[in-house]
Amino acid sequence: MKITYKTLGIVVVAAIVVGIAGAKVAGLWKTEGTKQPVAIREGEFSGMPNPSDIRGSYTWNDVAEAFGFDVGLLLKAFGAADPLLKLNTLETVFEGIELPEGTEIGTDAVKLFVSLLTGLPHVAEETTILPFSAIEILKEEGKASPELIEEAAQRAWIPNGAAATPEAEPTIPAAEVTPPSSTSTVGATSTTTTTTITTISNAIGTTSSTIVHTPSPAKTSGTGGDGTGAVAGTIVGKTTFKDLKTWGLTEDQIKSVTGGEIGHDLAAIRDWATSKGLSFSELKASLQALLDAGK
Amino acid sequence: MKAKVASLGKKGGRKARRIVQIVFFIIVAVTATGGALNEKGITIPLLPEASLHSICPFGGVVSIWQFLNVGTMVKKVHESSFVLGGIALVLALLFGPVICGWVCPFGSFQEWLGALGRKLFRRKYNTFVPAKLDKVLRYLRYLVLVWVIYMTAVTGKLIFQDYDPYFTLFNLWTGEVAVTGYIALALVVVLSLFVERPFCKYACPYGAFLGIFNLFRIFGIRRNAPTCISCKACDKACPMNIQVSTAKVVRDHQCISCLECTSESACPVPATVDMLALPGQVKDSFGQKTPKTSQNDLGGAK
Repeated sequence: MKITYKTLGIVVVAAIVVGIAGAKVAGLWKTEGTKQPVAIREGEFSGMPNPSDIRGSYTWNDVAEAFGFDVGLLLKAFGAADPLLKLNTLETVFEGIELPEGTEIGTDAVKLFVSLLTGLPHVAEETTILPFSAIEILKEEGKASPELIEEAAQRAWIPNGAAATPEAEPTIPAAEVTPPSSTSTVGATSTTTTTTITTISNAIGTTSSTIVHTPSPAKTSGTGGDGTGAVAGTIVGKTTFKDLKTWGLTEDQIKSVTGGEIGHDLAAIRDWATSKGLSFSELKASLQALLDAGK
Repeated sequence: MKAKVASLGKKGGRKARRIVQIVFFIIVAVTATGGALNEKGITIPLLPEASLHSICPFGGVVSIWQFLNVGTMVKKVHESSFVLGGIALVLALLFGPVICGWVCPFGSFQEWLGALGRKLFRRKYNTFVPAKLDKVLRYLRYLVLVWVIYMTAVTGKLIFQDYDPYFTLFNLWTGEVAVTGYIALALVVVLSLFVERPFCKYACPYGAFLGIFNLFRIFGIRRNAPTCISCKACDKACPMNIQVSTAKVVRDHQCISCLECTSESACPVPATVDMLALPGQVKDSFGQKTPKTSQNDLGGAK
């Protein structure tokens, strides 16, 4: 049997057309993913959706549905507006905004956010940071350990341009926030921080121990080098009382503004003010005025 | 007069391949454009939303390890890649890497650039690489194939995308292309003016995979030695520089089943070089296998 140009052309085209048509009939022709992350295969979270498998082609809605939380949380966290847009459009959300050198807010930031929100494990890229709006949500809704959320908070990007990126020590000592049953091994010099924590799986409804990896703090320029990473002399949400003292304020000066009380050296002023029912913005303005006066 | 009619017939045959190539080039270009726009959140009516990766049969090859071990596909690869990979596999078993010669839009793109090179350099075209060096370089694509499969299995990502001139060609405007992709495409464009299908010959991992089927394909290129006039027109016509004129059966791993060497195209003698069913193992262009077919059928090798 001789195969001519015509024969081969017809056979090739027919094979492809019939093959695709057959696959469509059989339900095998899929040019898009299921928008459902693969399940975690082993360990305490076996069967749960894996945040690490979130893809840039997912929409905000897809992510929220897959992990069972309100899409509004995601949109608010990342400043997005349309729940039907894909995660890979995240760059357009942050278009024109100069993030700290060597950091990025992309699909991996969404994975990290979902991980901290749900308590499911994810190994984030070293360069990944979260916007501060995400941290605010995580502090209220996050099911990961407070220290992990705090760690992410310390590296978060703050809209006014200051990136909070600590050099080494955590704002809140591990001993203060770690539940008694867990241990913390935060490596200051390693590229990845591995922390054994107690996380709560909301779907399973049990308390279980797992290893969650989060990125280590990255050094960025323009930070105060004061533990918070904020610009020296400028009060932001994560500025601590220790920062104020480092910048030249005395304890009495601070107390004169706070009404006679002062928080732990390593406590963030915003958190302390919230816990005392004080207005952070007013407190910030008064303290900032003191700082500016002393310059 | 007869010769003129025959010539017209030959042109018609070649035209069939050109049409198929153009059709697939357009389909892939339109799909890639639609897919890229869709990725950016723009949907245009009637434009397919599938990505370039989802219609690439090679995705099925690089995903196979992950699919068998984890049950998932490499990122950006979907079931459609497996379907197309399966179709390509069946076609390769029957006719060899017919996907390369007839369907692959990047192969077509290089061929069209080659037409320009042929005009520039005429007979010198496609003869610039010294034979010894060329022979070694032909195996480079197998190294690329092994590297791509290994790296994709390890990382779970389409690692070749950043170096793939094919992906670059159809995503030039999308901002998804790595610098290495642009360099690879530029290199292929320039080389195509000197060498026919340089990427296919030296670097294409999918071509390497499909090329293996040349060793046991059912229909292959056979030369009928008794009627052969040794004009070497088949050798000159072969875009992959295969020496058809010295083989009984072309089993070279580089054959792309384009039929350019056949009596329907370059060969001036009817029924001398044709694609026919191959009866078992016969001496191939590697010169390694034992002849099994009768002398009457094929004639002696030169």
